[in-house]
Amino acid sequence: MELLRPSDLAELAMPSDGGTFVHGGTEVVPLLRDGLLSAETLVDVRGVVPRGIDGGTIGAGTTLAELEVEPAIPDALREACRLAASPQLRNMGSLGGNLLQATRCWYWRLDYPCRLRGGDRCHAREGEHREHAILANDFCASAHPSDVAAALVALGARLRTNRRELPVEELYRLPDEADRRTTTLEDGELILEVELPEVEASIYLKAMDRKRWSFPQAGVAAARVGGETRIALAGVAPVPWRIDSVEALDAATPLPRTEWKLPLARALVRRALAAIS
Amino acid sequence: MARLIRTEKEVEGRYEEVWVVVEEDPLEQWPEGPLTVVGRPAPRKSGFERVRGEARYTADIRLPGMLQAAILRSPHAHARVKRIDLAPALALPGVRAALGPGEAHGLEEEAGFSGAPVAAVAADTFRQALAAAAAIDVEWEELDVVLDPDEAVRREQFTADPRHYERGDVDKALAQADVVVEATYRTQTVLHNSMETHQAICEWAGDVLNVYISTQFIWGIRESVAETLELPQDKVRVVCEYMGGGFGSKNSPDEYTYVAAELAKRTGRPVRCALTRREEHTAAGNRNATIQRLRAGARSDGTIVALDGEFTNAVGWSGWNASTEGPMKMLYDCENVRTVTFGAKVNTPPMKAFRAPGFVEGTFGLECLVDELAAKLDMDPLELRRRNYATTNDGTPLSSKNLEDCYRLAEPHWERRHEVRSRSDAIWKRGVGMASQIWYGGGGPPSYAWVRIGSDGRATVITAMQDIGTGTRTAMAQIAAEELRLPLDRVDVVLGDSARGPYASISAGSSTLPSMGPAVRAAAADAREQVEDIAEQRGMPKDAPVEEVVDLLEDAQILGKGARGPNPAGMSVLTFGVHVVEVAVDVETGEVVVERVAAIHDVGRIVNPLGASSQVEGGIIQGIGHTLSEERLLDPETGRVLTSTLESYRMPTIADVPEILCEFVDKPDTQLTNLGSKGLGEPPIVPIAAAIANAIRDATGADVHELPISREEMLRALREAEARQKEKRGAPAAV
Repeated sequence: MELLRPSDLAELAMPSDGGTFVHGGTEVVPLLRDGLLSAETLVDVRGVVPRGIDGGTIGAGTTLAELEVEPAIPDALREACRLAASPQLRNMGSLGGNLLQATRCWYWRLDYPCRLRGGDRCHAREGEHREHAILANDFCASAHPSDVAAALVALGARLRTNRRELPVEELYRLPDEADRRTTTLEDGELILEVELPEVEASIYLKAMDRKRWSFPQAGVAAARVGGETRIALAGVAPVPWRIDSVEALDAATPLPRTEWKLPLARALVRRALAAIS
Repeated sequence: MARLIRTEKEVEGRYEEVWVVVEEDPLEQWPEGPLTVVGRPAPRKSGFERVRGEARYTADIRLPGMLQAAILRSPHAHARVKRIDLAPALALPGVRAALGPGEAHGLEEEAGFSGAPVAAVAADTFRQALAAAAAIDVEWEELDVVLDPDEAVRREQFTADPRHYERGDVDKALAQADVVVEATYRTQTVLHNSMETHQAICEWAGDVLNVYISTQFIWGIRESVAETLELPQDKVRVVCEYMGGGFGSKNSPDEYTYVAAELAKRTGRPVRCALTRREEHTAAGNRNATIQRLRAGARSDGTIVALDGEFTNAVGWSGWNASTEGPMKMLYDCENVRTVTFGAKVNTPPMKAFRAPGFVEGTFGLECLVDELAAKLDMDPLELRRRNYATTNDGTPLSSKNLEDCYRLAEPHWERRHEVRSRSDAIWKRGVGMASQIWYGGGGPPSYAWVRIGSDGRATVITAMQDIGTGTRTAMAQIAAEELRLPLDRVDVVLGDSARGPYASISAGSSTLPSMGPAVRAAAADAREQVEDIAEQRGMPKDAPVEEVVDLLEDAQILGKGARGPNPAGMSVLTFGVHVVEVAVDVETGEVVVERVAAIHDVGRIVNPLGASSQVEGGIIQGIGHTLSEERLLDPETGRVLTSTLESYRMPTIADVPEILCEFVDKPDTQLTNLGSKGLGEPPIVPIAAAIANAIRDATGADVHELPISREEMLRALREAEARQKEKRGAPAAV
């Protein structure tokens, strides 16, 4: 395996064999170790991706640990960082990398030939799915694990990559028969910066099955931005999921063993809205 | 003098009749209460070595020329090897040998669970070994799979014959009872998750097999390996200097040891076979799931007149049918008790003993049922327990029982419930619950120790026992120091090698201290008597300091030896306790927070109060994981373990640990050995689940019936309680 360490964007050329970007390594390294990702070339992008906070602009290389103690960023983002993973992981994991982490669906992590892998069935739907999605779960019932992504969606953040600018919501797509990917990032495209708007108030509430080091059973980010109230959820759909109101959850389609997530999500949404109103 | 006796031997609640040669135990017990060293808090003897990384665990051992083994495991829950080809593995770089089914004990053609060991390879590196194991070509014949334990019971597919027990007339008593409660409780499969995975390194030194292994039972490994490999026992040397946890799962050698031994034989090199964390989550044993269908009947004055239980243990492909019914038979003075216990043979990974096997699960069911009974009788749960206090074990006298002292010490904690409840608000409901503990923990013979005193006035305790992380070195040193009247820092303990000391007990069934402690004391007493003889000959007082008596010995040594005497004949030796737990429940999100645990245990004399409180804290933390967050999940189609990592299998973090208060009755059991100490490894994990569940009921009115009490189970129970309330008020129940 080859490791490249470009020091500026001009040097950043993706190898033709589909090499893999790596920053903190908290996701890529375990996937490589488990044989879920194969790459002849790793491209360490720490020399390329900006790191640090400048007003509303956050370098995508900023670690979660740096963000969780930063008073200048909105509460929702800070809390999402603080409540994610463990201190060791937050010290290594970057903001950009966090947005791109794969699902924790155990079938996917155990390399079952599921729909996300191009297969023709969702093993979780028929099998063990108590941690899975309650929304948009028809094709694939995986739940998106990123607290930070839900926070950024609620905050109305925009991303700058080496090729374009886009609202964070447009980074994500639901997998379908024709295209199994959950992000719109192209090969060789790299998230460089996150741009936050002026935020009046925000919050992130997270339910876990222990107090720390747990992906969200349901995470709710809510924000008041430019007079608008925005809500986004983690852990309830294959991608970060935006809703307009708590009533929107009435349209949920829980699986037999994920019904419990619905009252949980409702309670958290109500609390989050009350907190920012 | 040695004496041959036929005695009942108990480990983990399993009894067998054995012949043993026991030596008399002529020493009088020490007086009750803290002594000079014993009964005083002592920090770990090996603390510095452990935190500096100097303590050598099996996982640290790298022998010259050592190869690494990997095991090929069945991808199917039930299948037979039709054809296997090891050649592709042997052709890979670094591969030195490969074994197919039948070529090492534990590698079998018929795989009864997903993860069953089938073949193995040894290579220069672990990575090479893994690649080679994956390259083995197997053609499988898939067989009929049963994963559901109730289905196994219907098919009468058992690991052993169902176990029936009855005293009195349960049907009649239930018919005559003023109040009857009935409930079904389910407990999940949980994993031991020792920090050090199961592993062994085997090395042939001539005709002697050296086995370095992470184990709870050095002498059991020696015996099993010798028997299986048809070697004289003295040709098997077993070493376990430091050990990274076992919790009952490391009592036997298992496939990894035999794989290492056979591969070492074939390659002429030492071979290490260490399970990965994922293998640990699959094939290293578990606390099996249970289904408990229970009934209790009582008179309106609170006398429990009938207990009736049908218990199904989802044992797995192999394993034993643990005594889940034990608490129902033993905890209360009830004339009419009937139990049946099924050991369902299912195509899931086999159970292994896990810290009070059966009793942890059975106490959850029974002690929740008793609180449901108390609610129906409108009686204080502590008062109900006192009214049904048992003074014997089903008619057998007890060597000692101070559960009433535990209840008395629990009163101040129990009294807090009014204040705790009053701190509830619209979202967070608070409450207090309790549960009692009953378990074994008396240990037994044989066990031996030697004590050596040199002219420098230092003593060394020598015994070929293991310290599984429970502070054994410290406790043994304290006992010897007390008997020798030496300061603790002048006593060392040498253990961990079958070639360097006498036979020692298993460290399971809470037996280390009650089995080994009396032998160490006897050895120290033997040495002390010799020191006193020398003192007398030197014209010194009998109690002159040891170092002054022996200072002219030069190279001569004082050698003492001691043995564990018999258990009291015709008596049950049991441990007792009670936990009082305070919880807060978020009734909207189902979050359960354990805020405070008061644990009071009656385990005879406490040798090291600091070590004892650590044991209690560890048991409670492990029990909180069992109660709230841990569950091994299988894919219902393939039987494969889904929670194969520490991320998906959720043990408590330090943030989940509540305030824990430990109290001990600390009365020596006057019938039990020269020490009067019972074991404490298991008791603290026994009552915690029921105490938490009962606190949840106190806080919310909801009856939880399943472990873990996940948000799903908590929200279900809250919904059910709400519907019950509505029904009571005459409104139609919510659907």
